[in-house]
Amino acid sequence: MVAQGIPEETGYILFLFAATILLVVVVRLVISPRDPRPTPEKRAPFESGQISAGPGRTRFIIQYYPYILMFVVYDVIAMFLFAWALNLRALGATGTVPVLIFMVVALPPLAYALHLANQRENW
Amino acid sequence: MTDLAFLALATVTVTSSILALEARDLVYGAAALGIAFLGMAGLFFLLDASYVGAFQIAVYIGAVVVLILFTVMLVGPQLGEPPLELKRLSLLAATLLSLLLGTAGAVSSASAFPGPDNCGSGCDLVGLSSTLINQYGVQLEFLSLVLAAAVIGALTLAKTERKAE
Amino acid sequence: MVNPIIDLLTSTYFLEIAVFPGLLSIAILGALLGWMERKLTARVQLRVGPLYASPAGGILQMFADIIKLLFKELTIPDGADRFFFIMSPVTALIIGAALLGLIPFAPGIQIANIEVGLPVFLAIVTLSPTIVLLAGWSANSKFPFIGGLRALFQQTAYEIPLWLSTLGVVIVTGTLSLTGIIEYQQNRGWLIVPQLLGAFLFLVTSTAEMERLPFDLPEAESEIMMGWQAEYPGPLFMLAQGPAFVKLYAFSALFTTIYLGGYLGPAPIPPIVWFFIKTIIIIALIMLFRSTFPRVRLDQLLRQGWTTLLTLSIANIIIAYFLVVGIPVI
Repeated sequence: MVAQGIPEETGYILFLFAATILLVVVVRLVISPRDPRPTPEKRAPFESGQISAGPGRTRFIIQYYPYILMFVVYDVIAMFLFAWALNLRALGATGTVPVLIFMVVALPPLAYALHLANQRENW
Repeated sequence: MTDLAFLALATVTVTSSILALEARDLVYGAAALGIAFLGMAGLFFLLDASYVGAFQIAVYIGAVVVLILFTVMLVGPQLGEPPLELKRLSLLAATLLSLLLGTAGAVSSASAFPGPDNCGSGCDLVGLSSTLINQYGVQLEFLSLVLAAAVIGALTLAKTERKAE
Repeated sequence: MVNPIIDLLTSTYFLEIAVFPGLLSIAILGALLGWMERKLTARVQLRVGPLYASPAGGILQMFADIIKLLFKELTIPDGADRFFFIMSPVTALIIGAALLGLIPFAPGIQIANIEVGLPVFLAIVTLSPTIVLLAGWSANSKFPFIGGLRALFQQTAYEIPLWLSTLGVVIVTGTLSLTGIIEYQQNRGWLIVPQLLGAFLFLVTSTAEMERLPFDLPEAESEIMMGWQAEYPGPLFMLAQGPAFVKLYAFSALFTTIYLGGYLGPAPIPPIVWFFIKTIIIIALIMLFRSTFPRVRLDQLLRQGWTTLLTLSIANIIIAYFLVVGIPVI
């Protein structure tokens, strides 16, 4: 009942998880040196030697947020294209017409989005 | 073996969904949502629907969860109000909902929903593709209209929010 | 009680997942690829590269680095999110290694022969920028956070052209499984010939996926100091660097499988050797990108991804369509 090949892949991934976590635990407990009284400088974020000013997680790159929105929608569209591409030899030209209309409807918003992205004051 | 896998996947899905709702730190909640979607993908694979399962991982976890994560990190720990505490009402709602879903499940399992066994010729990959495009072509067009509206709507919302600053 | 365990440990499946093409071979090949990259970029830049770690041209350099990193102290910065800080590089490495389970190395050697192998590969690939974002967020430090955000935006630029470039292969072969694609190439010749544009697009977008130069914004060494990997101490740094080489290996193996015929080749050389010859040529090509091109800027990348790459991939799909359906005679 299960799809072919999935149990092997899942077993492989679980084995990798177990092996890597075992490695990290063994390294942490047995190998790495530990400092019982770390100084405050040691525990501060590294930032390649600079003295950090202000909290981390402050600089957001918001101006490209619309690209993520477009990405989510066109990801779904790509999924349907895979279903079409798989069977093209059987579907032929007549079967491509629904998919062609699908793409014709779904592509103009992309042009609109890129046109909006040109106007920098919006984002 | 299949039953064991189903039990494990169901437990993972339900537990991480509860975690996604109840987690104090929203980033943990979004990550738990991703694990819930992973459990659902596992259930799809268990039903031999590997195409749907693969794209569940790719689209849901790869795009939707990442969008949610980005938004949660943007909003940060300073939320609006703390969640409402309605213990008794939520308990009543949970009981009623489980009764409803349990009854629906019991009724539909004996009904005419085709199980994975009697799927006919439309269940392998080639059949899926042919059925999707030949039989459900009109629905496909409506779907593309919905997606186009989603793109334009999301962009308009994002745009006006910036202008309102 | 002991017998089933011994049966499991000596079965072919366990040997496959643990030794080859699984964990042990990935670890060793990852280290060797690190050495190869340093030597190759050194030669391009007229330097010598690693030399002292062994008499054979520094080939043990990466293993020496791994041993050194293992013995460093695991310090987690103040305010960092412990769970995600530790789990993110672990998960990133596992995502990279899981990709290799899908690829047919030789006619019998493949960990998982999934009917939808190509979408599963692409699906697992899509998960890695999420992990990088979480890793960058968890370190509570500015540079990793910026690196993580850049990885997120980079994903939105190249992910769809990556999928659409493999769509051409799906159109021509009519199957989604990797073994099916190799069977097609056995009968009809290597797919790089009808899909030259698709192969080029796949090469470009997979270099972006692997966060290698010219697309290594999340890990920009001269701008944000190792980006999302900046805060990771010794052993975790090794786990964070590992996915770079493992994904390089996995993507080159996929390129070999879907465009260059995988393990197919004339008789006297065994198929597995053919596979590795082709994969190492592609790996060397991608490594040469690193020493040749400057880094792309984020807005350039987003714009080019959504205009040029998307248009080229749609053109590739149209070419593949006419190859399959035939040009209508008016």
